[in-house]
Amino acid sequence: MNPEQLTIALPKGKLLGPTLQMLDHLDLPIRGVSDGKRSLVFDFPDQKVSYIMCRPTDVPTYVEHGAADLGIVGKDIILDQAKDVYEMVDLGFGYCRFIVAVPQERVGQPLADFNYQRVATKFPHVAEEFFREQGLQVEVIKLHGNIELAPRVGLAEIIVDIVSTGKTLEENFLKEKANIAVCTARVIVNRVSYRTKYSIIEPMISKMSRLVAEGVVKE
Amino acid sequence: MNNYEIVRGTKDFLPDEAALKRDFENRTVQTFLEWGYREVITPTFEYLEVIEGGAGNNLRQELFLLQDRDGRLLVLRPEMTIPIARIVSTKFRDTDEPLRLFYNANIFRHTMPQMGRYKEFYQLGVELIGAPGKRADAEVIALAAEILGQQELEFKISLNHIGIFTSLLAESGLNEQAKDSIKALVLKKDLVGMGELLSGLTMNPDFKRVLLELPVIHGGPEVLNRLEAIRKVPGVDQAIAELTKVYELLAIYGIQQDVVIDLGILRGFDYYTGIVFEGYSPQLGYPLLGGGRYDKLLDKFGCPQAATGFAVGIERVLLALQNRGAVLPQRWIVSGSDLRAVLKKARDLRAEGHIAEVDIQENSEKDVIAKLAGAKTG
Repeated sequence: MNPEQLTIALPKGKLLGPTLQMLDHLDLPIRGVSDGKRSLVFDFPDQKVSYIMCRPTDVPTYVEHGAADLGIVGKDIILDQAKDVYEMVDLGFGYCRFIVAVPQERVGQPLADFNYQRVATKFPHVAEEFFREQGLQVEVIKLHGNIELAPRVGLAEIIVDIVSTGKTLEENFLKEKANIAVCTARVIVNRVSYRTKYSIIEPMISKMSRLVAEGVVKE
Repeated sequence: MNNYEIVRGTKDFLPDEAALKRDFENRTVQTFLEWGYREVITPTFEYLEVIEGGAGNNLRQELFLLQDRDGRLLVLRPEMTIPIARIVSTKFRDTDEPLRLFYNANIFRHTMPQMGRYKEFYQLGVELIGAPGKRADAEVIALAAEILGQQELEFKISLNHIGIFTSLLAESGLNEQAKDSIKALVLKKDLVGMGELLSGLTMNPDFKRVLLELPVIHGGPEVLNRLEAIRKVPGVDQAIAELTKVYELLAIYGIQQDVVIDLGILRGFDYYTGIVFEGYSPQLGYPLLGGGRYDKLLDKFGCPQAATGFAVGIERVLLALQNRGAVLPQRWIVSGSDLRAVLKKARDLRAEGHIAEVDIQENSEKDVIAKLAGAKTG
């Protein structure tokens, strides 16, 4: 890590657009930065900044180990990974919710009826913690995608997933049973970088908070 | 299962790395000795009651437990301060003089394996017992700076007084549940969550603002001015005065440039009672060392005594040194047909402090030169 140089981990996918817009407002270079290219590292030596284009789930890992000084990632991913990083700013965009959903015909049943049943999810820690807090035990089945199919094919009775509109749930005959958390994009910072590069990072964080408060940062 | 598998979360030190480790330990131990610290060696395992008596049960999930033949539960030591507290309370009860002790030990914790964190890891540390004054705090911090400095590592030591946060929380008028939530969020470093939680609580707006700011207040002693609004809170003024004093003492030690005040160093509220600090290097994403004042721990062993100390994670220092690129020592190979002369030459080289290997394969001069050229450490 060069003490003068800042490395930022950027999430590929839907958070990237608003993230780049925000970086632009911070007067950071964004020319040619995109997730469509083969290149995964973008260096701007004149501005002393470089970006690493990551899968969103990898952003906290890059930041925790100091491969990146800061990163932008959804709260959903932060919640499921519990990494040792500072969570400093709520950027407000990338809104989604963590929910528990069950087949439509069972939505009227109390949650306790789902004790000892199977939960399909991409987020095993969030799922497990939610049910533990309710005093329930479930069998968590980790999937990597198409979670909403699991009840239809008899793989699980419950799902824990993120939703933004709820349309996918409906198409799969599922209904929301409980809300676990509201998630938006966050700025996370490595705990050592925050100290060793304080004079660069602190003003940047303050400016981000200001941009959010003024409503400049948006989808 | 293969018979060559290594336990997940453990590691072998191969010669180059082991040499680096040994060098760091030797140099550090030498410094500890020069500063008047004396070594203690404690058993690798302790009774569970001893460890939990000192640490409470929040360590439980991380403990390696085993059972003695008589059925008592044993623990592979998860840290060294508690075994030392046990020693002090049983063997140094009536000492009036400050007690300076150090250790070099392997520590065991059942953590998720990841870079810089192992289930068995090594710590070097000191404990300064029976010395409540600020000079004691300054001494251990200066010693921590000394051992990092002599590795020619770029580093900073962040300094805080846990009393600022704990006094503020104690006087906040919040219920225990809210206090616990705040502590949990601070430990998770979730400042966004803190903001959300605090905005929903009714409390003194100055308290609210400072609680939110604390984790990010960082700089020279002038940053303490930002606490002006809460100075009147019982305990806060004293904590600030102590912090300022220790900072001044460190200036006399000549290490002011290595120290920053950082009110975000909020570690182990239930354990530390005063000054706390952590050491960082820009070469590494995790702290190299940490410590502070823990005046209540010895009380739990029936021997109330002031105490302060720190522990440095050896693997982490090695990672920082490796990231920087360490220089490996030169070695000589002494070869020839006259073994007597070869041995004499090797002895002479060793007496001069060189590493001298005797050729035992009766290689020709050409072979030896070829070998040295190919050797990584040649």
